[in-house]
Amino acid sequence: MYEAAFFLLLLLLGYGFGRLAERRHFARLVVREREMNTLPAIASRYPPTDRAYAQHLVGGNVVVSSDYFKSFVAGLVNIFGGRVAPYESLIDRARREAVLRMKDEAHGLQATYVFNVKFETTRIAVGRTGAMEVLAYGTAMIPSTGDS
Amino acid sequence: MDYENRQAPEGINTDAEHPLRLFLRLAFAAVALLLIIVLVLQFSGGWLAKRIPFRTEQAIIEKMGIDFGDEADSAEILDYLNSLAQRLLTNMPRRESLDVVVHYSSDETFNAFATIGGNLLFYRGLLERIPHENALAMVLAHEIAHVLHRDPVAGLGGGVASTVAIAVLSGNAGSGVAGKVIGRAGVLGGMEFTRRMEREADRAGLAAVAAVYGHVAGAEALFQLVADQRGESKVPAWLARFTSTHPLDADRIRSIARHAEESGWSDEGVVTPLPAGFDEWLESGS
Repeated sequence: MYEAAFFLLLLLLGYGFGRLAERRHFARLVVREREMNTLPAIASRYPPTDRAYAQHLVGGNVVVSSDYFKSFVAGLVNIFGGRVAPYESLIDRARREAVLRMKDEAHGLQATYVFNVKFETTRIAVGRTGAMEVLAYGTAMIPSTGDS
Repeated sequence: MDYENRQAPEGINTDAEHPLRLFLRLAFAAVALLLIIVLVLQFSGGWLAKRIPFRTEQAIIEKMGIDFGDEADSAEILDYLNSLAQRLLTNMPRRESLDVVVHYSSDETFNAFATIGGNLLFYRGLLERIPHENALAMVLAHEIAHVLHRDPVAGLGGGVASTVAIAVLSGNAGSGVAGKVIGRAGVLGGMEFTRRMEREADRAGLAAVAAVYGHVAGAEALFQLVADQRGESKVPAWLARFTSTHPLDADRIRSIARHAEESGWSDEGVVTPLPAGFDEWLESGS
């Protein structure tokens, strides 16, 4: 009886706080992405040749963990198959946040572009639910000083 | 060449369905699936187990060499319980091969149960609280009915089959919370099966008591006793009804009263007292 009540409480807390955090994060992401769109992150391996650039490796990584509610729903999806929607939004947030952190670093270096952007993910075991690392990295193109 | 990052529209990588809606949809489907699987396996596993000859059941128990209770020092109580059991048994519809043996344990446990091979075990903790023979006959007849219905072996067969299925399904849901909850829910589903067995054993037991004593007065004393023993429950009745292996005491008392009325058995009559040395007999085993 107490166990069931405790389970429901955890589920409710997971849902409430998880949802609140997700909404706020998405709102922040949109604002920051708009600001950072002046510094394009490009997947292409061929940087512009219009001028000389100093190149610098930049990266941003994020480790995300699921909440109680998401883990529970994902477990249920495992039975029937289909989109694991609770994790999709989580991974979307992690990926966008990683890009922003990478851009932050590039911005600090006065870069004008980040080229050859790549992503990597790694599963990290944290307790039973686990966490996921998303790493975005690329080459920051910093216009060389003295070059006109 | 111009390079730019355009702001991508929201919602490409996420699902529009509200998470609570998704949760409810999946939870409902999982519970339904689980109930169907458990019920089907309980019934089919139980049905198959009942095909095992009773003699095999007895042989298995014999081979396992389980000691039921304290046989050596409790001759009088065992004689009395077994003769009462035989009186009831002759008044119950049964296949010839089915038989019961009553065992006695001087343990304080408030319980009595039937297990495979027609073995019944009665604990002192229950017997010393029994007010009269009619109440005792009701417990005995109830447990004998379990043996006659082959419930112990069916419970074992159905239980094993559904436990395996629950383990597979909950394993599929991951080792996390969902798996655990699924496992728990499956066990609850199986309980409806045992509650059904209990209700049928109550009815058959009551019929035997009516046949032996000519009335069913005092039969409900057993459930009253169980209810008193259990004490005030903190769990609300609607929940207990679903989460318990046995029907609720109050429901059972109502149900046997209704069954007695429908069958035309009188609930008024003189109850037979327990034999004079009953209390000393109980002591002898300890």
